[in-house]
Amino acid sequence: MAEVAQLSTSLRRGTLEFCVLAMVEGEDRYGTEIVRRFGEERNLAASEGTIYPLLSRLRRAGWLDSKWSESPAGPPRRYYALTDSGRSALEHFRTEWVSFRQTVDRLVGTGEA
Amino acid sequence: MSTNKTDDAVAEYLREVEVRLGSLPLLQRRELLADLEAHIAGERAERHVQSEGEVLEILERLGSPEVVAAAAWEEAGTTAPVGPIPRIALAPITRRRRYWPIAVVAGVILLVLLACAALTVSRASSVEQHPVAPVVGTR
Repeated sequence: MAEVAQLSTSLRRGTLEFCVLAMVEGEDRYGTEIVRRFGEERNLAASEGTIYPLLSRLRRAGWLDSKWSESPAGPPRRYYALTDSGRSALEHFRTEWVSFRQTVDRLVGTGEA
Repeated sequence: MSTNKTDDAVAEYLREVEVRLGSLPLLQRRELLADLEAHIAGERAERHVQSEGEVLEILERLGSPEVVAAAAWEEAGTTAPVGPIPRIALAPITRRRRYWPIAVVAGVILLVLLACAALTVSRASSVEQHPVAPVVGTR
């Protein structure tokens, strides 16, 4: 059990942030929305509270912008938007990821061919 | 009555997280606490959460204060260990406080010893000089 958890933690590291960037690529989303979306993905599932420090780092890196905005129901929400440098970081990841995935597939024997 | 209780649970949760954020930069600490607070308040409002049990469920999904704080340390790029962050941060300070008087006493003793040594040396050299002087004088 512990090893399974360790493996998914290792795999998540370095990839989760790009899933976050991709999530706000089309439209701005607020924190809890992003957190909930991750909760639905079993492979990515982490404690919801751990997503907020990640969002903070991405904002400090200049990949995300955030602003508080009133909500129709309930307290104000903090919306996240992709910045230009966040967009190019995401594009770069996409290219890298494809060739990375192909290499791993080839070496590990998980490829289709 | 039950709202007070759930508010207490939320406040305690946030406090437990805050304690574990220790020496992280102030703005990062404030940001995370504000995000968590907004998350909890938003979930309560959107899901029409009433009971204490439902609030505790929101907190459980957020993760234990240890887990959330550990994520904050990791994302801050600091090599702080997962567990007892505050203790590790405080240990050198308390130790320094404890050893401080000992250092002063040791310093005073050292000064006294040095003074004694200096006196002994100067007395010895003056004793040595006395026999030399008459010899020079007789020549």
